[in-house]
Amino acid sequence: MSKRVAIVGIGCSGFRTTSTDLSYREMIFEAATKCYEDAGGIHPQSIDSFVASSEDFMEGISIADEYVPDQLGAVLKPVQSIAGDSLQGLASALMQIKTGQQSIVATSAFSKVSNLSHYEKVAAYATDPAYIRPLKEHPYFIAGLEMNRYLFDSCSTREQCARVVVKNRYNAFLNPRAVYGAKITLEDVICAEPVSAPLGQFDISGHLDGAIVLLLASEEKALEMTDKPIWIKGIGWATDTPNLDSRSEGLGSAHYAKLAAEKAYKMAGIKSPVKEIDFAEIDDTFSYKELQHLEALQMCGFGEAGKLLEMGCFEPGGDLPVNVSGGSLGIGYLHEANGLQRVLETALQLRGEAGKIQLTGVETGLAFAWRGIPTATGTAVVLSNRL
Amino acid sequence: MGILEKITRNVDNRYWNPGVGAFPVKNRYTAGVAGQQFFERLKEDSKIFGTRCKTCETTYVPARLYCERCFERLEEKDWVDVGTEGVIHSFTVVHKTLEGEAKEKPDLIAAIQIADGILIHRLGELDDMEAYIGMKVAAQFKAKADRRGGINDIDYFKPL
Repeated sequence: MSKRVAIVGIGCSGFRTTSTDLSYREMIFEAATKCYEDAGGIHPQSIDSFVASSEDFMEGISIADEYVPDQLGAVLKPVQSIAGDSLQGLASALMQIKTGQQSIVATSAFSKVSNLSHYEKVAAYATDPAYIRPLKEHPYFIAGLEMNRYLFDSCSTREQCARVVVKNRYNAFLNPRAVYGAKITLEDVICAEPVSAPLGQFDISGHLDGAIVLLLASEEKALEMTDKPIWIKGIGWATDTPNLDSRSEGLGSAHYAKLAAEKAYKMAGIKSPVKEIDFAEIDDTFSYKELQHLEALQMCGFGEAGKLLEMGCFEPGGDLPVNVSGGSLGIGYLHEANGLQRVLETALQLRGEAGKIQLTGVETGLAFAWRGIPTATGTAVVLSNRL
Repeated sequence: MGILEKITRNVDNRYWNPGVGAFPVKNRYTAGVAGQQFFERLKEDSKIFGTRCKTCETTYVPARLYCERCFERLEEKDWVDVGTEGVIHSFTVVHKTLEGEAKEKPDLIAAIQIADGILIHRLGELDDMEAYIGMKVAAQFKAKADRRGGINDIDYFKPL
């Protein structure tokens, strides 16, 4: 079980708010083609197995797993679908190699949310049918409750949440994969149309279409295939109760993130995350989530994230750059593909291929994804360019 | 539209549309053994019940059939009347309808802590600005004739 596993190929497609040309399967084909080229031009016949992450309701096709193989070159190959965030898919692909079952595994995820006419109804249908749904409220009320309680518990402020939006949308300007880059002021965010106050329109990341495919390989294969392997040092995931009435530490906490990170750090041999992690790409589906997740991931003490943000610690030039890519607020929200998007941005940084958003001297990065409203599921991954 | 806002639905663009998918599925849910009894007490007696796990001393509200922490089954004797008052754990002012449109009048939705559990419900008889975390509230039940055996048998929670 000591086999080391690396990301050897990265490909993506789309990253736009609507796509009336490519179907989602064509979008995945494009991302897969780029990924296999990136891995030295491997033909999918040489790939042992494939893991796709998806959600039937978002794809608009029942039993969507059956529609996975062709666009990945996986016809007549072992294929598996994970109904969850794509970092859970990455974990599954990783395990296939770690157990020695496979040597080269591709993993994919996509979002084509622009096909949906009412995303709100899909999210609302994910809430408890007996106790929550009969209230007939917009599902983001859960984010409003979480935000208000998080601000109360942590003594963080509304302004600090708005500052996350200002930072991430500004960072997105320099990232060619980001769509929501903007110079936005604190006042713009605070005075924006309220959705579920204190949560406003600009505290919520905008929808995005896109597909991402990553290729993973065992140490032996990775060293043959690429001179820039990105090692998966640790991964962990956890799910809190789905019941809003019994979340382990109340509605203001992200306990799932804490547990996921603890497992990932342990596997990666990380004892002091603040000292050993150079930068982080973490979930910012909603503005407050970045602060809440930073604290849960032990990047700072509880209630400190807002103050450190104000001091500039999480800026690209700060002590711990956070979401230099623009995050979901700046890039756009890719639904179950969010996790792989975080890994994509982290891996490009570690390869030194992040272009204008490239950080200097980075060796270890953290990627963290949350599965969104109304879930309490998070996955953390530690990546490094050092074996 | 432009820098701050984008078109995010294909339906708002012009393109060849090979078909429109709609999924006319209907689900008829049961509330479960514990849920059935919880709603019956709500409807018939205007009472809120929880179930108490003796092992970890957690009182679940709404009542459950099992303790998710100890993984123990909760029995008939574990049912407790937890009263009809609680404390606001968090609240939010909802401005959008389920369709994503602006509401004419926003609604106050709260997580109300009762014993060790929480009920999610509307707040009434108070203004947005008056609500605060820690505020004591009580359930306002609908008239008996209007109750249907569901969470909406409580009309809203109001300040004590």
